[in-house]
Amino acid sequence: MSKTLSRLVFVVMAAFFGCFFLYPIWATIQTALYSADHKFTLDFVFEVFSNAVYRAGLGNSFLIAVWTTLGCLIVSLPLAVFNVRYEFPGKALLNSLILLPMVLPPFVGAIGIKAMLGQAGAINSFLIALGLMDPLRPADWLGQGQMLGVVLMEILHLYPIIYLNSVAALANLDPALEEAAANVGCPPARRFWRITLPLIMPGVFAGGTIVFIWAFTELGVPLVFDYDRVTSVQVFRSINDLSNNPLPYALVLVMLVFSTLLYSISKVLFGKSSSGGGGRATTARETIFPPAWQGWGITALFVGVTFLAVLPHLGVMFLSVSNDWYGTILPHELTLSHYRAALGHELTLNAISNSLKYSVLAMIVDVVLGVLVAYVVVRTKIAGRQILDAMAMLPLAVPGLVMAFGYLAMSREGQPFDWLMLGENPLLLLVIAYSVRRLPYVVRSASAGFQQVSPTLEEAAQNLGATPERALWRITLPLVMPNLVAGGLLAFSFAMLEVSDSMVLAQQTAHFPITKAIYSLVGALGNGPSLAAALGVWAMIFLGTTILLAGLLLGRKLGALFK
Amino acid sequence: MVSISIRQLTKKFGRNTVLSGINLDIAAGELFFLLGPSGCGKTTLLRHIAGFYTPNSGQILFDDEDVTSLPVHRRGTGMMFQSYALWPHLNVAQNVAFGLEERNRPRPEIEARVAEALEQVKLEGLGDRRIQQLSGGQQQRVALARALVIRPRCLLLDEPLSNLDAKLRIEMRSEIRRICKEFGLTGIYVTHDRDEALSMADRMAIMEGGHLVQVGPPAEVYRNPATPMVAEFIGETNFIDGRVLRDTSRVGFFDVETSLGTLRGRPNSEDWRPVVGQQVILSLRPEALSFEQIFDSPNRIPGHIVNTSYLGSIVQYELAAGTENLKVCQMNPAIIRQPSDQEDRLMIAPADVVMLRK
Repeated sequence: MSKTLSRLVFVVMAAFFGCFFLYPIWATIQTALYSADHKFTLDFVFEVFSNAVYRAGLGNSFLIAVWTTLGCLIVSLPLAVFNVRYEFPGKALLNSLILLPMVLPPFVGAIGIKAMLGQAGAINSFLIALGLMDPLRPADWLGQGQMLGVVLMEILHLYPIIYLNSVAALANLDPALEEAAANVGCPPARRFWRITLPLIMPGVFAGGTIVFIWAFTELGVPLVFDYDRVTSVQVFRSINDLSNNPLPYALVLVMLVFSTLLYSISKVLFGKSSSGGGGRATTARETIFPPAWQGWGITALFVGVTFLAVLPHLGVMFLSVSNDWYGTILPHELTLSHYRAALGHELTLNAISNSLKYSVLAMIVDVVLGVLVAYVVVRTKIAGRQILDAMAMLPLAVPGLVMAFGYLAMSREGQPFDWLMLGENPLLLLVIAYSVRRLPYVVRSASAGFQQVSPTLEEAAQNLGATPERALWRITLPLVMPNLVAGGLLAFSFAMLEVSDSMVLAQQTAHFPITKAIYSLVGALGNGPSLAAALGVWAMIFLGTTILLAGLLLGRKLGALFK
Repeated sequence: MVSISIRQLTKKFGRNTVLSGINLDIAAGELFFLLGPSGCGKTTLLRHIAGFYTPNSGQILFDDEDVTSLPVHRRGTGMMFQSYALWPHLNVAQNVAFGLEERNRPRPEIEARVAEALEQVKLEGLGDRRIQQLSGGQQQRVALARALVIRPRCLLLDEPLSNLDAKLRIEMRSEIRRICKEFGLTGIYVTHDRDEALSMADRMAIMEGGHLVQVGPPAEVYRNPATPMVAEFIGETNFIDGRVLRDTSRVGFFDVETSLGTLRGRPNSEDWRPVVGQQVILSLRPEALSFEQIFDSPNRIPGHIVNTSYLGSIVQYELAAGTENLKVCQMNPAIIRQPSDQEDRLMIAPADVVMLRK
C-alpha cells in the first residue's frame, strides 16, 4: 500500500473516531459536568454518590461484575487446560459447542430462566411433584436471589471469552518452559501454579477484564429479571426525563471512568509481558491420552457446562412452543403457532428486517474499516500507526450504555450531529453505534490474518509487476479471507444481539431492532412472552449458525479476538 | 556425576518405532554426543534420559539405579533446551534459583549458589535483568546456569547452540566443554552439527532410523566409519564402487578394482577380512587426495579439473576422473589450479582409502 493511501486511511479513521467515538463520549461527559448555565461543576457526580439508591446500584453492579468474573474463571480454566492437553471423546464437536452460549442472547435466556425458576416455574413444579416442596408455599427463587440469577446468567453467557483466551494462551506456551521446571525438580501440580498459570495470566486477565466490564455494564439481563438496583437499569429507566436531568449522564460518567481505569490497569500490568521469552518453541505439545474413564469424565464436564449454559435457552424454546406453561414441569400443550404469530406480528416482522438491515450495514462498515486499519498497523511503518491500533481497540473499554447516551446527546435537536437522526429514524445512529463497538473484533481478526501471511508473498507479486494495491487485492486479501469472514460474522452476530444502543436509540416501534422488540414483548400481556420467546429462538438460530461458521474458519485463533 | 546405561530401549509412537533396542553405556564424567540426521531419534533418546518419555520396553540406569519409571522432577538431570525455555515472568536470578527452591534449600544457600552459578557462566551482576533484556548468548548462559546450579546427576543438552550466530557458537563450544570438565559432569549432547560433535565430544554415537549405527571417539568415527551413511554424515567424502582383487603383501591392505583403476586400501575395521571378489564401497576424503607425490603409494588417479572454488583457507576442486567426479580440497595451496582439459594426477595414501561393506 502506498504511503499516501496509508495516510488517507489514518485520517479517515481519525475522523471517524473523533466524530463517533470521542465526541459522543465527550457529549456525555459534558452533560454530566456542566450546569444549566454552562459552568463546570462536579455537583452531579457528587449527587450520584450521595444518593443511597444510586450508591446501592453501583455496589450491586460491582458485585455482579466480581462474581461473574470469578465464576467465569472457575468454569473456564479447567475446561481450557483439558482442551489443550487432553484427548477425550467428542473433543472436536464439544470444543465448538462450548462456545455456543456466547452468541445466545443472555437476556433471551433470562426469559427462559424466569419460566423455570419462577414461583410457578418448572423447578418448583418438579420439587413439588417429588414431594420435596409444599405446593402452598413455593420458593421464590428469583425474588430473593435476583443478583444470583443475574450472575448465573452472565457467567453462562460470558465464560467462553475467558475460555478462548486461556486456550489461546495455553496453546502458545512453549512446552519446554514446563519441561524445564520438571527437569529441575518441580512436581506437576506445582508446575501449574509456578510456571503455567503466571505465563498464561496476561491472556486470562485480558479476557477477565472484558468480562468484568461487560458484566458491570450489562443492561439486558437485569432488565428482564426486573432487577432495578443496578446502575445500568437505573440509567435506562431515567431515560424518559433525559433532556433536562443530568444525573443519568453523571452515572454514565462514573461507569466510564471505572471501566477505562480497569482496562488501562490491565493493559499496563499485562500488556508488555506477553512475549513468549527465549527462542522459538522447538517441541510440539504432546496430547495426553488419559485412561478411558478420565477421558469420559472430561467429556462429561464439557457436556455438563454446555448443557447448563444452554438450559435457559432450552427454556426459551419450550416457552416458544407452549400454550400454557404454568405450575407444571413441562408445558401442557405444544404448538407452533407462536412462530407463525411471531412471523406475522407487525412488531416482530419489522424488528427482524430492521435488525438485519442495521447489522448488515454495520458489518460492511466494520469489515472495510477493519481491513484498512489492520493492514496499516501490521504492514506499514507510518508514524502513529500504534495510535490507530489503540483507537480501534478502545471501544472494548467503553460500556455500550455510555456510547448509547453519547449518541443520544450528540444527536439531540440543535446539536451538530442532529441530522444523524433522519427525522426519527435511528438507522444511521444504530449502524454507527454497532460498527464502532464491534470494530475491535474485526481489527483483531484481520490483524491476526495479516501477521500470518508473509509480506514476501506480496513482494513477489510486486516483483512480477503488480502495483502494491493489486498485490494486496490479488495475493494477501484472498489469503486472509477466512479471518475477514470470521471477523465479519462476529461483528454481524454481536450487532444482532446488541442491547444497550438498541434500547436507548430506537424510540419508535417501527424502528425497533430484534432485541428491543423482544424486551417490549416480554412485558406485553397475553401471549407476549411466548411471542418474545419465539422471536428469541429465531435470533438464536441466526446467531448459532454464524458463530459455528466463524469457529470453523478461525479455529483456535478465535481466542485472539477477545484480548 | 553418574554413569548412564541404556538397555534394550524401545519406543513406539503409535505404529512408528522411533527407537529400537538401543544399548549404550556412557561413562561417568564423559561428554557424549548423539549425532544424526533429523528424525533419527537422537532427541527422543535424550528425552528418555531426562524422563519426558517412558519407553515401551528397556531400561535406563544411572550408576546402578534403575530410573526408567522415575518421574522427570525426581530424576535430577539438568537439561538445556534448544529454545532455552527461560521463564519470561521470572528474572535471571529467579530462573536460576527455581530448582533450588523446589528442593527447599534455605534462602541464604540459594542466594549463594545462584551467585556462584552466574559467576561460572560469566553473568555476574545480571541477576536482576529480565529475560527479554538479554542477548541470545546471555540467555543461553542463563539456561546453562539454571541446569548447573542444581548440581545435576548429568547434564543433557538438546542442540543448545543452534539458535546462536556462528562466532558465538564456536565460543560457546569450548565454554560448555570447559564447564563440563571442570565439574566432572556426565554430559549428553544432541546435535546434527558434525563440527560441534567432532570438536567437543569424548565419544559420540551416530544414529539413523532409531538405531545406533556407530559409537566411538571422534577420530575413530571419522577415520573408520561403520557404514557409508556414517562416512558421509561425519564429513565430506567420495564414494567409489569396487571389487576386491587381491590381498597384498602389506598386512591389512587390499587391492580393489574400480572404474578409476586399481586402488589399494584398508577395511574400516580390523575384524573384517574381505574376500577376493567381494563388492565394496571405497570412501576417499577430499583432503586425503593430493596433487603432490605421495611416496610408497601405488594409488594414482588421472583426471582433469572441471571446477574450482576458492574458500580462503582452502580450495575445493572438482575433478573428472573416468566416469566419476571427485571432490578434492587443498589447504593453503601454493598455486590455485584452474579448470582445464590438461590431465592432472591425484595421489592418495592406501591408509586413506577406506573399504566399507556394501
